[in-house]
Amino acid sequence: MSALLETNELTVSYGGLHANSNVNIKAEKGKLTGLIGPNGAGKTTFIDAITGFTNVSSGRAEFNGKDLAGVAPDERAKSGLVRTFQSLELFEDLTVWDNLIVMAEETKWWSFLADIVRPNRVLGIEEQAEWALNLLSLGEHRDKLTLDLSHGQRKLVSVARALAAKPSMLLLDEPAAGLDTVESQQLGKHLREILKQDISIFLIDHDMGLVLSVCDYIYVLDFGKIIAEGTPEEVRNNPEVKRAYLGETAGEMQAEGGAAAARSLSGEG
Amino acid sequence: MKEGIAYAIMGLGYGGFYALMAIGIVIAYKGSGVINFAHGAIAMYVAFQFSYLRSEGTFRFPWLDPIPTSFLNLPVTLSLSNGEPINFWIAVLLSLFTALILGAAIHYLVFKPLRNAAPLGKVIGAIGVMTYLLGVGSKHFGSNQPQPDGVLFPDKLLKNFLGLGLGVSAEALALAGVSIIAGAVVWFIYKYSRIGLATRAAAGNEKGAVLLGYSPDRLALFNWLLAAFLAGLVGILTGTVTGALGTGKFTGLIVPALGGALIGSMSSIPLAVLGGLLIGSLQTFVGTYVSGLSWFPAWLYSGARDSIPLVVIVALLFLRGKSLPIRGNIEEKRLPLAPYPKRIGKYVAIFVPLGFLLSAGFPGDFLFAGLNGRWGMALTTSLIAGMFGLSFVLLSGYVGQISLVQISLAGIAAFLTARLMSHYGPSDSNPFAVGGLHLPWPVAMVAGVAVATVVGLILAVPALRIRGVQLTVVTIAASISLYSFYFDNPKLTSLQGGSSYIIQPPTFFGIKFGSTGSQGLTDNPKFALFCLIVLAGLSVILANLRRGSSGRRFLAVRANERAAASAGVNVAKTKFLAFGIASAMAGVAGVAGAFQAGSTSAPMWDYGVGLSALAFCYLGGITSINGAILGGMIAGGGMVATFGNFHSPGLYSYIPIFGGMGMILTAIIHPAGQASIFQPLMRHFGSWLLTARGKEWGVVLRRLAPYLIGGGIWGAIGINPWRTDTYNRTWMIILGILIVLFVRNIVVQVKAAKAANALPDTNSLQEVTA
Repeated sequence: MSALLETNELTVSYGGLHANSNVNIKAEKGKLTGLIGPNGAGKTTFIDAITGFTNVSSGRAEFNGKDLAGVAPDERAKSGLVRTFQSLELFEDLTVWDNLIVMAEETKWWSFLADIVRPNRVLGIEEQAEWALNLLSLGEHRDKLTLDLSHGQRKLVSVARALAAKPSMLLLDEPAAGLDTVESQQLGKHLREILKQDISIFLIDHDMGLVLSVCDYIYVLDFGKIIAEGTPEEVRNNPEVKRAYLGETAGEMQAEGGAAAARSLSGEG
Repeated sequence: MKEGIAYAIMGLGYGGFYALMAIGIVIAYKGSGVINFAHGAIAMYVAFQFSYLRSEGTFRFPWLDPIPTSFLNLPVTLSLSNGEPINFWIAVLLSLFTALILGAAIHYLVFKPLRNAAPLGKVIGAIGVMTYLLGVGSKHFGSNQPQPDGVLFPDKLLKNFLGLGLGVSAEALALAGVSIIAGAVVWFIYKYSRIGLATRAAAGNEKGAVLLGYSPDRLALFNWLLAAFLAGLVGILTGTVTGALGTGKFTGLIVPALGGALIGSMSSIPLAVLGGLLIGSLQTFVGTYVSGLSWFPAWLYSGARDSIPLVVIVALLFLRGKSLPIRGNIEEKRLPLAPYPKRIGKYVAIFVPLGFLLSAGFPGDFLFAGLNGRWGMALTTSLIAGMFGLSFVLLSGYVGQISLVQISLAGIAAFLTARLMSHYGPSDSNPFAVGGLHLPWPVAMVAGVAVATVVGLILAVPALRIRGVQLTVVTIAASISLYSFYFDNPKLTSLQGGSSYIIQPPTFFGIKFGSTGSQGLTDNPKFALFCLIVLAGLSVILANLRRGSSGRRFLAVRANERAAASAGVNVAKTKFLAFGIASAMAGVAGVAGAFQAGSTSAPMWDYGVGLSALAFCYLGGITSINGAILGGMIAGGGMVATFGNFHSPGLYSYIPIFGGMGMILTAIIHPAGQASIFQPLMRHFGSWLLTARGKEWGVVLRRLAPYLIGGGIWGAIGINPWRTDTYNRTWMIILGILIVLFVRNIVVQVKAAKAANALPDTNSLQEVTA
């Protein structure tokens, strides 16, 4: 099995503070890899570093066997490494459909000339945008401005936008934040469906329930360092994770919750 | 070299002026997060006020009587001493009082309501104040350029200063000294006084300051008063240092002062003072000493002085990147939505022939018909202003980049086109005419527009690193620098003594379509058709860009640059594209403007012209194509203004004033501009006209009849005694009806609002449940 996304001793420092120090992660193709950690553990910094939104101090990151150093954020996105934001960051002046199309379309230097002649030409990407829209049941909101949607719907639009380009790897930054338990489980189901479309997923969240129930392999980040990794089973039973990171009893309870969620999910699926 | 040092020291006079201004700019930024482009205009107004108090003892309020009637007039000019100069100290007090009124008014009327507006809204507010003050200034003080007397050590020349061989005026050194003292005092206030500390706290985190019990409003007021006081001080103390006063010239001195404030990162007072002194010193050193050296290229001479601030500002912003302190505002509003253009083809099919019919149509001088010189000029002016507005719509409305250099790009295209087309040389009738290559107009126009586009793209390079408001600073500096470097530089333009390029009337397969018709008036309908077609073409291009993939990327970049990059949009390329196309559009508008005027000279492309164009485009609606066209209609010299001027001569001089007030009001009340109000209104009214039957007409007429008749009678008889204008009396009937309908509409609206408010009231709820 080849790792689609791999980091080697990745370190991000802000002044003297190491937000990420020597992080080694492998995200396999076709798998759902998770990264959990409490607030401030450096999860979002890790995504920012991989997608080019913050500078890497040392170490390297590879995507699809290619070094990512010096590649601009938009080029990383075009090469199939696509992310969402915790704060959504939708294009509020565009309709839901146009949000997806911006992501999906390939533009050339002469695109603006083509626009002048035929602005509404068929781009050949409508099908995959339509697929992303329907996968997340957003069909009825297609022509609405994202301003007019609820928070949960906007959340789904941000995932749909990332999917519209049919990326090879989808990086999700806290997709479950602000969702209730039912919505969170729904999201888990959607994620498994996305995997079937040959899109690998890298999921970041602090919701143990969601991560333990859907991921194939999990990394645990604390104070910028990886303190544990393994299958959900291994992470759930890792005493160090329980003690050092979750606290004795709270960790037990969250892990239990995760197990329950996993049971219900497999029961439904 | 000794001489060079002496010139650098002389420059400290200007430097002190800039430093004092820079302190005020920093204070306003700390106090309310506004880069106050109007700071120079405040100083200008006070300088004139002081000068007039000292020469003829008149005090002028910074406003105008908006509706001149034969009674009930707003006091504007007070003569305090029967034309005699007034006592020095009283003049100082009155001038500082003027400054404080302006400061308070700017706070309460402009920036308090705009506290949470989008950055563009705040910029527009500041430019609105600047435009307003420029307008009031030139209305009050005309084009007089009085030379104020020195206040600090007047007429004292320090001969052979420091043994450098040249005399330095004591006044210049004193002004620099005052700026240092003022800087120290303000620094002390911020460092140690309670209100200063609170201001610094609020600048860092407004929410935090509110939680600590400070009112951001009162803090902002304090800072605006302090800033205005300093602007007033500049106006009084400037004396002979900056030469004769001029409304536009004085206001433009804001740019080097902004440079000084930027050196202080808009936050450090000592650095701002140092920066101001440095820029002033450098300007005189380079502009007078270095440019006089034998190796200095003559073609650079004209622009050297005015380019210093631009170079300093760009270098600083480029080196520092984005490090202007960003205020932690509680809430910030977004730019208004940029609507998806619909039915553009239909509009083109209706309005192009309609416009042509109007311009070619009926004889006589009735309303818009009968295109004699005046109306031809008005219609084509509006169409050209519309073309120019489209470049703002693309750049500011769609991509969110505020550029004030568009007017210079238009000018570059116009100048080059004129030069390339020309075949005139100096002759007996015009010894200053400039010869050229005598190219056909399409070739010359394409070349001119291409060069304007290239210049626009070069100026876009800073925009990749410099965002939002700071870009405004860079572009206004670029506009002023280009003016003296190119437009007003005989070495590059060959235009001697302020003469202008003469433009060959353009022809199309032998048909002359220049603006001048058979009788020598600018009434050629074929030129109106040319403008209509060009405007329609540009509108279609812009609409299609907005509807296509480019438009999606533009709006994505405008909404959120990070998210755009994460969606695979190349932000830099997208901005470049927008700057390129907008520059080309401005260039086309510039060439059309030159065709209309039949000649072109430097003053057509002054930064002030660009500001007022932006003002009217914003009034019309900067995020939509309709907005640009509507903006063209209301622009100075356009249809609406000419219509007004036709009936009330002298209205022209009010245009900048109303433009400035309109800008501020639009920014506060309706950032989407007037087009977004008119369009649905016209659509509804239009479809009602198409579908309404006799019965409905009857109902409406019956309901409105009393108001129509009453208003008409009042207009015919009642308004008359109030009037000082020269409108034809029949117009008063229509005015009366309009006023009555307007008042009725407001009453109906207020009633409706009250009814809507009353609903959730507990009493009415009980009634409903009972």
